[in-house]
Amino acid sequence: MRKYLARRAVYAVVTLLGVSLSIFVILRVLPGDPLVAILGVEGHARMTKEDRVRIMADLGLSAPLPVQYARWLRDIGAGQLGKSFFRGDTVAELIAHRGPITAEIAVLALIVSWIVGLPVGILSAFKPNSMPDGVARTLSVLFIAIPGFWLGMLIVLALLFWFGWKSPIIIVHVWQDPWQNLQIVMGPGIVLGLAQGAYIARMSRSCLLEVISEDFVRTARAKGLREGLVVMRHALPNALLPVITISGVLLGFVLGGSVAVETAFGVPGLGRSLVTAVIERDIIVVQNLVLLYAVIFVVVNVLVDLSYAWLDPRIRYS
Amino acid sequence: MSDHASDPKPTVDRRTFLKRVGAAGAGAAIAARLPFPGPAAAQDATVRPDPAAKRGGTLRYAVHNAPAHFDVHQSGTVANIGPQSPMYDTLLRRSPKDGQTIIPDLAQRWEISPDNKKYTFHLRKGVKFHDGADFTADDVKATYDRIKNPPKGVVIPRTPLFATVSDIVVVNPHTIEFRMSEPRPKAYMLGAFASGWNIIVRKKTLDDNQGNLRQVMNYPGTGPFRHVSRKDKEIWIMERNPDYWNKGLPLVDKLEIYHFLPFTPELGAAMLSGRVDYARLLDPVTWRKAKEMPGVTAANFNQSVIQAFWTNTQKNKALADPKVRRAIHLAMDRHTLVEVVKDTAPMQVGGFVYPFHEMSTPRAELEKKLGYQRDIKPAVQEARRLMKEAGYAGGLKNLDFVVRDIPTFKLWAVAIQAMLKEHLNIESNLRVVQTSVWFDEAQAGSFDLAISAIVSTLMDPSDIFSAWYGKDGPQNYSRWTNPVFHDLASQIEREVDDAKRRTMVRKAEDILENDPPLIPVAYEQIYDAWYNKVKGQNPSTFFGIYDVVRWDNVWLG
Repeated sequence: MRKYLARRAVYAVVTLLGVSLSIFVILRVLPGDPLVAILGVEGHARMTKEDRVRIMADLGLSAPLPVQYARWLRDIGAGQLGKSFFRGDTVAELIAHRGPITAEIAVLALIVSWIVGLPVGILSAFKPNSMPDGVARTLSVLFIAIPGFWLGMLIVLALLFWFGWKSPIIIVHVWQDPWQNLQIVMGPGIVLGLAQGAYIARMSRSCLLEVISEDFVRTARAKGLREGLVVMRHALPNALLPVITISGVLLGFVLGGSVAVETAFGVPGLGRSLVTAVIERDIIVVQNLVLLYAVIFVVVNVLVDLSYAWLDPRIRYS
Repeated sequence: MSDHASDPKPTVDRRTFLKRVGAAGAGAAIAARLPFPGPAAAQDATVRPDPAAKRGGTLRYAVHNAPAHFDVHQSGTVANIGPQSPMYDTLLRRSPKDGQTIIPDLAQRWEISPDNKKYTFHLRKGVKFHDGADFTADDVKATYDRIKNPPKGVVIPRTPLFATVSDIVVVNPHTIEFRMSEPRPKAYMLGAFASGWNIIVRKKTLDDNQGNLRQVMNYPGTGPFRHVSRKDKEIWIMERNPDYWNKGLPLVDKLEIYHFLPFTPELGAAMLSGRVDYARLLDPVTWRKAKEMPGVTAANFNQSVIQAFWTNTQKNKALADPKVRRAIHLAMDRHTLVEVVKDTAPMQVGGFVYPFHEMSTPRAELEKKLGYQRDIKPAVQEARRLMKEAGYAGGLKNLDFVVRDIPTFKLWAVAIQAMLKEHLNIESNLRVVQTSVWFDEAQAGSFDLAISAIVSTLMDPSDIFSAWYGKDGPQNYSRWTNPVFHDLASQIEREVDDAKRRTMVRKAEDILENDPPLIPVAYEQIYDAWYNKVKGQNPSTFFGIYDVVRWDNVWLG
């Protein structure tokens, strides 16, 4: 097990180095001048070449690219993650302040996806081609197809025009005011959760359909066990592995989707920070946030792999 | 005060006045009957609290996204002015009553020499910065020295306004003189001193930070509000300055300034749901909705921005021909273009000078001119004739049309592309680019046609004649030159007689009509809305969003 973990850790580090290098290069290759955001249109227009050289040096952008990359890795190693080169706020502060909101949204989305997706999948699998199955399949396709940001905007507008209500406009953490906090994360969490729930429903349906035709399920039924017991004790645990795998993958989609959905709901989470940083060409913030998302994705995938051994006694890592 | 203090004749300050009265052996009663106003009138023009005003409460104001840095002098965006203005004062200011009249601020009164080459400001005494330091003329000198001659690596868009200031002399701790190498119109110079951008910063602050305040969040001002806390891209909180020199102000105890991108549904939702009391830069749909809401007031006013379309005169031979550019200018159906974006951003038709400026061609007259009429047939006919005369009757092909990635410009680009094709057989390829890329491309001259917006500090024509149309103007993206115009613009800049200046500005407009340096598409308006409990602020007559953002006279009913 330790060997397996060490091997996965090495792979993870290599993957993250690859991600860091890619995002570093992409951000430097993309056109766009951060000085427009810093100086504004008028200031940018009046800037001399000398001013540009000086400002770029101040921002640490005039050093050779390998030096800039090495400095970034050094900052990561020191846990500093660098500073937004606009206002001087550190990226670590940004993550500490906004990260919890995005994390809550992701967890809520995951919970919603399981609460909605799994029962629907079970119902569909045990009543295949029935009307409830048809409705469930139609709805799942619908939620997969509908873009989260669009649904988010509809919900925001409906709440606004029908009830004159909008969620709080600044971050309120769960430890500061749980009710206000819930109002912030609820909308994006549900929208993202419904989309992921549709995938869970489809995956659990197909896995269960496969499992319930197995001999051990037939045997359970032949023993005279109640259908509920057959499903919960025998069929479901054996159908869950692929669902757990897809949940890990979906968490990545949730993080990616949060960028658009947070913007649609006006939630000041990390996703929205990423959007603003891209617009401002605040490359220090962008590269650190993208790397953070990559770290989360890698860690979740390792955890998912490890959970297999716990869920299925046949699987052992050595 | 401004009318009288800016007039060189009645330069009688309190001390001189009392001396004269004493010498003549006259009593106080006689003094009170003197026909010309003294400093008392100046004091009267200073912002005073509304007698009916209630004190206290928190004003929640939503404006623009967070600033990219904190140096107001270096900025050109409301992202700085919006949240930071309430913490600072300027030498002079625009009255919050009308947004136009220039009134005293840190300068209690001022004098202008008869030759218009010396401006003397008498500063208030007893004013303190938020860190407890005394405000003196040295702070004014340090501030304006920096604005006029920014240190290396510091770019201040207002620098050209003070190009003719040759010396800034501290006469005593509360008197400062600005000596000029040549005169400028009073309205121009006073407008520059009253610009909301030119906040007075402590000399020590500038010295301690090597003249660069980009990353200094909370540098002390003398303004009505003091910094409390800030959450990046969310909120900036300020509290009433209990030591504010203007006793009785500000009226609200706390300011909460929320950052929202302009014209977004998010900003609209915050306003309509009552999460904020006052919202600036609303989108038209929200603004119309707000207008219908009981208990809410909505107002629109002019902004210091032109939405324009540039033709690269250096890259493309055809576009260097004034006839071709005039033809393109005439082929624009401006009223339709305003209509196209009516749900995205509020716009109005205008020419080469702000259409609401007193010296520009009046709107009724403008709309009779080709290119501005509702019926565009005559203009298109003339445009085709010009193209033929220039040798381009068959039109132009494959023009690179660079479009700034903002909804308004994307809508307009498609409409303009169609108009040019239909009216003049000019074919272009749209290239939508992110804002920062747009400015790179524009400055590098990597375009044939380009659409975006640019701003000016002052409404005064001389400011835009140099920045937008000047030979080396920083926003002359077309790289346009016209010696006759540049010569005239230089004369307009020096002319201090308003009547003569007006005539010259009209002449300049005629030159620009026939040899367009850019093609004016529209002029922006600003949409504000607020709940009626917010009293003391109505921006209907304001120009721009940069000069009157102090909130000192605003109260909550």
